[in-house]
Amino acid sequence: MTEKITFTVDGKQLEGKQGQLLIEACEDSGIHIPRFCWHKRLDPVGMCRMCLVEIETPRGKALVPSCTTQVTDELVVETESDIVKKAQEGVLEFLLINHPLDCPICDKAGECPLQDQTMAYGPGESRFIEEKRHFEKPIPVSDIVLLDRERCILCARCTRFSDEISGDPLIEFIQRGNKTQVNTFPDEPFKSYFSGNTVQICPVGALTSTSYRFKARPWDLKKVSSTCNCCSLGCSVELNVSQNKMLRILGEDNEFTNQGWLSDKGRYNFEYLHSENRLLNIQAKENNDFVEINIADANTTLKQKIEELQNPDVKFVIGANSTNEEYFVINKFANLMNRNEFLSKDKSNVYFADDHLFEGYFGDEYENATFEDLDKSDVIVVWAEDIKDNIPVLFLRIKKAVKNGVKLVVLGHTNTSLESLADLYLGAEIISTNFELETSLSNVKEFQDIVEDKKVTAIVGKSTPLQQKKSLDALVSHLQKISSTKIFNCFSKANTFGALQHIDQLKGLNEFYNEYDSSKKNIIFTIGSNPVNESLFGPKVKNILQDADFVVSLDIFINETTELADLILPTTSFGEKEGTITNMEMRVMKQNKILPDPGSTLSEWEYLTSIAKSLGKDIEFGSVYEINKALVNEYQSDDIAPSFDNLNKPSNLFGVINRKDIDLNVREVDKSKVSILMVRRLYGDSSTQTNSPSISMLSSERFIELNSKTLEKYGIKSNVANLTQGPLSIFVNIRLNNLLPNDLVLAPINRRGFENLDPTKDFNLKETNNLKELSVN
Amino acid sequence: MKETLLLTKHMRENPEESHLLKSYEKNGGYKGAKKVLKSGSPESVLEEIKSSNIRGRGGAGFPTGVKWGFLAEDEERYLVINADESEPGTFKDRILLERDPHQLIEGMIITCFAANISKAFIYIRGEYAKPARRVQNAVEQAYEKGYLGKNIFGSSMDLDIVVHLGAGAYICGEETALLNSLEGRRGEPRLKPPFFPAVKGLYNKPTLVNNVETISSVPWIMNNSGKDYASLGVDGSTGTRIFSLSGHINNPGNYEIEMGSSFGEFVESLGKGVRNNKSIKAYIPGGASAPWLRGDQLEVKMTIDDVANEGSMLGSGAVVMMDEDTNLLLAAKSLVSFFAHESCGQCTPCREGTTWLENILERIASGRGRLSDIDLLLDVCDNISPGLTWPPKMTTICPLGPSATASIVSLMKDFRSEVEILLPKKVVLR
Repeated sequence: MTEKITFTVDGKQLEGKQGQLLIEACEDSGIHIPRFCWHKRLDPVGMCRMCLVEIETPRGKALVPSCTTQVTDELVVETESDIVKKAQEGVLEFLLINHPLDCPICDKAGECPLQDQTMAYGPGESRFIEEKRHFEKPIPVSDIVLLDRERCILCARCTRFSDEISGDPLIEFIQRGNKTQVNTFPDEPFKSYFSGNTVQICPVGALTSTSYRFKARPWDLKKVSSTCNCCSLGCSVELNVSQNKMLRILGEDNEFTNQGWLSDKGRYNFEYLHSENRLLNIQAKENNDFVEINIADANTTLKQKIEELQNPDVKFVIGANSTNEEYFVINKFANLMNRNEFLSKDKSNVYFADDHLFEGYFGDEYENATFEDLDKSDVIVVWAEDIKDNIPVLFLRIKKAVKNGVKLVVLGHTNTSLESLADLYLGAEIISTNFELETSLSNVKEFQDIVEDKKVTAIVGKSTPLQQKKSLDALVSHLQKISSTKIFNCFSKANTFGALQHIDQLKGLNEFYNEYDSSKKNIIFTIGSNPVNESLFGPKVKNILQDADFVVSLDIFINETTELADLILPTTSFGEKEGTITNMEMRVMKQNKILPDPGSTLSEWEYLTSIAKSLGKDIEFGSVYEINKALVNEYQSDDIAPSFDNLNKPSNLFGVINRKDIDLNVREVDKSKVSILMVRRLYGDSSTQTNSPSISMLSSERFIELNSKTLEKYGIKSNVANLTQGPLSIFVNIRLNNLLPNDLVLAPINRRGFENLDPTKDFNLKETNNLKELSVN
Repeated sequence: MKETLLLTKHMRENPEESHLLKSYEKNGGYKGAKKVLKSGSPESVLEEIKSSNIRGRGGAGFPTGVKWGFLAEDEERYLVINADESEPGTFKDRILLERDPHQLIEGMIITCFAANISKAFIYIRGEYAKPARRVQNAVEQAYEKGYLGKNIFGSSMDLDIVVHLGAGAYICGEETALLNSLEGRRGEPRLKPPFFPAVKGLYNKPTLVNNVETISSVPWIMNNSGKDYASLGVDGSTGTRIFSLSGHINNPGNYEIEMGSSFGEFVESLGKGVRNNKSIKAYIPGGASAPWLRGDQLEVKMTIDDVANEGSMLGSGAVVMMDEDTNLLLAAKSLVSFFAHESCGQCTPCREGTTWLENILERIASGRGRLSDIDLLLDVCDNISPGLTWPPKMTTICPLGPSATASIVSLMKDFRSEVEILLPKKVVLR
């Protein structure tokens, strides 16, 4: 495929690669051929006929679609001949005869390929005097996407995306000929984690999203490139802002990471920025109520508290949404506040709020993988928490690799959504409900056959914090023995790897409650984290926060964690701060600022430096640029140092891989029985999502998954039940999932109602008696 | 002028039971297949087919032997019989399916032997309920007898035949759309390249797609010889063809004749002349897709090449005669409506263009035409089929769109005045 060939376009000699599509080869050489249905990331279908060109064949010149024609050596192409121009005009006229002229109220107007190409290639006027085709104006195809079939030009981009890329073909063509339309199947909404991508690639205004409809005109938008922080993949995004309001996030095509796609969470989880619940002023607790104070008072309060408590224990519980620069400052600040002055392996006082971190990170002694390795390897092996729910775009990358012939092996009970793609799914037959390997992998012949002597990319992480790491060790060491293996440490939270790189001896959340000593004086900082809600150890953390002498929270909302604080310092958030983040392949990428700091919020580092100053200690940084400079000095690598300047270079716009050493000091959670597998779903009751109206209802369903045998055991005959544990009783929908082992029930962790569920204790399922009322709906 | 009965002899002589196995065997059926499987070789069969010079009877007229020779090597290959006969005016395959299904099955056995195929499909038009029933019964009879299945006729050859009914879409007669439909997808033509059936056909495997009449001719050729077959008809159009004659004719029907006589002779002798002794204004020589010929062109010979030389095609052998009283605008509109209704909707020019053409013709016919409409019609046609030549150039994926333009182009070329008279007079202001 890489053989160089020469061909002629409009009299010019061009170079291309054997097998390349003509439209792409021309694009590479700067010749634009108009198109609607063709999209770089989708299989060509040659449907819209806009990209017709003339080529010379042994039987004379022929009109062919350049999106389905491969370049061959000495091919002669005309893209601007009279016949081509006439065909293009004709196609545009055909497309326009039934396209409504509602551009003035269409969201796409101004960035519409149909408008643009009509201007450039279309006929000047319409010869169509008949009545246009009519459909009901927009119909909702899901909770977040609307479809206007009158505007649709039937290019099949959306249907191909959901079929080829995301693998949930819930929208399809129905009817035929002039009556052809895109639609969903009856009673099956377009319920996809990736539906927003179809809105982005729609070449007209047929698909619109509830969050952006009628909000702005494209020419009023201010735009900046940035990096999404919803998970550790680090999708390249474009932030669209108008009148200081974030209105839309688009995926950017970063060849290395997201290749243009975003999950709906990444795309729509931004409305919270402008929520009326957002904290804009410093809050101090007085008589169980929060009152607004200014920063000078806040610093004084904190200073007095520290003096009053006389050399207290200061601990930090940090989240995954800070930038590397912020972690750098947090680390310095934590060092200052540590009684031991300097952090040693055992004396660290910084804890990470993600309970999925595990001891013995597969680090330097292993070869770490990049996303490109997924495409280049022979086999992908996955044993981790649910990829589709936690790193959605990684699911797309795996699906793409599998489509191109890479084999997939899935282990465990969490990645059931990968089962249909997998060549081998090893669930209940070799892995216990406690996530222990019950059979040595060397005895599993199918596994050996697929993996032996192959290039393997292994995605490894804990399916649940309760899983013992030795099971993963067994997998990894076995893979290393029989194949050449590269490893992804599957930590799914946004800038986990940035935290790992820049915090000395980061500890796990379980150590936080293990090491907490209530007999001492304690001050706790929570920074951008909500462990009470989002962690299996939530109840324990809650007790500690209630017990501690003083709690300071740096966050953007009052939530389950911050409501326990004595002082809340409201911070800036996504789009309001500049910095770098590190994704799961250690690619350092830029986050950019496009919104002003709302209210009197400050960045995390600004609070910390100001507190340090008031305590008479010095952390001298005047700007985030200075922090970045100091941070780059620590890398001590001139050529790939991820400085802002370096990342703003065109060649590095999509980030640079930089493997700074990682110190991870997480101890194993005590072994205990897993009776309920609590998993994180894409949508959850995080304060950002509940404050983003467009997607807030997507996490409203309370459900459990279990196999039919287990369901039978409890004698439930309907699709609802009461899940009970001690005094707790939760009304749940039941989803059957026969890939789960017997007696294991899967439940979402970050949903209201589930927070007091203990996954290690027994539970019961009971028939519910309000069935009748329910069936009415 | 007389008929020459090769394919239809058995059904003419045994009208009541020609579809039954016992009747077919009594009249020498399956002898050819047995002989070929016992003592023939794939090469010898291919040689006979090539020497017969038979050309495909589905419409395109591609030499059958050459087509078989193109089939790519693969472990799995398929034969698909295109029995989706839906071209308006064509009803020849119907009698072959309904009244002599075993002849088709025998032809398939020989074809599969020659092409080393062990799985074949018969894709029958959804509306052909009775023919489908008859074919299904015949296939079952053949299985019972051991003529299909494992080790047929005691040889080492296996062959399974699946009878599949379409869902009522004309486009599924286009071979790649047929394959999509057979696989359970939307009936939409595939892109060529890369999906040439002989290379990437059914389930992406090399696939022979042949018309019912073509394969039904195979037993006769093997029972006699390729040379015998080639001696019938004329060079380039050897053998017999079943023509479906319809329109304003006294005696319409299917007639099996040697190619080479003129349309005029055919109409006069076998068609028993034009209804009410009228004269012919125009006629369709080869199905609804074919450009029309004029009444003064009846001396054109009924061969693939002669009709092509007149800018039309012999196509599927559907001859439709239109007498002097015919309203040709309505005739054209009727044809265009058919194509608009049957457009699959996949590519823009056909999906939007055919319905637009229908709308314009409708407007003219109802007296709401504009002076510019003739130019508009022809330009819209030109945007579907650049140059308006035949065989057509296409901006579309398949020839359905260009087929819709054929009647309009014929109308405007030869009968323009019939349309002009319906348009408002040009007003010249002084």
